[in-house]
Amino acid sequence: MTGGRRPGHGEDVGSHRTPEGRRHDVGKEATKPPGFPTVTPGLNDAATTNQAARTRAFAQHVEPEIDVLLRVARTLTGSWADAEDLVQDTLIRAYRGLESFDGAHPRAWLLTILRNTNINSHRRQRPDLLDADDSPERHTPAFGATSTPSPEQTVTDRELGEDLQRAVAALDPKFSTVLLLVDVDDLTYSEVADVLGIAVGTVTSRLSRARKRLRHDLNANARRSS
Amino acid sequence: MSTLSTMWTCHWAGRRIQRYLDADPAAPLTAQEAHRLHRHLATCAKCASAAEDFRGLRRALATWSQHRTPDPQLAARVRDTARQLIAEDAG
Ligand SMILES: [Zn+2]
Repeated sequence: MTGGRRPGHGEDVGSHRTPEGRRHDVGKEATKPPGFPTVTPGLNDAATTNQAARTRAFAQHVEPEIDVLLRVARTLTGSWADAEDLVQDTLIRAYRGLESFDGAHPRAWLLTILRNTNINSHRRQRPDLLDADDSPERHTPAFGATSTPSPEQTVTDRELGEDLQRAVAALDPKFSTVLLLVDVDDLTYSEVADVLGIAVGTVTSRLSRARKRLRHDLNANARRSS
Repeated sequence: MSTLSTMWTCHWAGRRIQRYLDADPAAPLTAQEAHRLHRHLATCAKCASAAEDFRGLRRALATWSQHRTPDPQLAARVRDTARQLIAEDAG
């Protein structure tokens, strides 16, 4: 990790505003220089207190969600390396935005920041790929390579898994992303709506179409092979 | 039950089976809808088989989750880098 894309001090992260409305106002804080949050120069005690409060809030609201953010970022970008960059940037923006965060629904708030961060980056999006980690070093067991089935997995399970992977990969990314976020990453409909910037109704309709398509494809496969 | 009425009920059920299985707080069925759907699934083989397939699909996809869980070292690295940047911000 070079960390080359990390937002530097004083970077104007608010300059990349998207035209869509935001459900959580996450970029407002960026107009202030990050080193001097809200305090008047000279009030060092207040600055220290403020700093300590933000660090505490970060540990309380943000750090517990890092795993979920990484999963979601992995689904959106297609690789752990890109997920790491995206989440890193998201965490810094979240830290800068803590003052305007009311403490309710930290996951929804963070997912919205992650979405905006992802839009603002020029990262290529590859939501459709299940195994996009193509460099060998990313296939270490620690990263969960899928090639070794557990001993209790039956042949049928493995075949179903392969058919299923093919069927999911054949879906339009618009549909597979929603499917993966709900059924694999275990997000709620409204969390998916937050991270993709779409309505809950759109989440349910895409999900429903994705699953119907998968059911159709898998049943067709089963008929062919019997 | 007439064929048309059965078809209509299957259509009605088909639009609710997934929400019924997901039980997501953002798109709940009313108690009445759930009750009616439950009764339909008990008597209609076609819809019951769809529900069974969707259950199986969810189970299969849930097993992918373990392969897509971030390495604890990755999560720790991300957290530590964030803490470090925060500390620099403070200093
Ligand atoms: Zn039916």
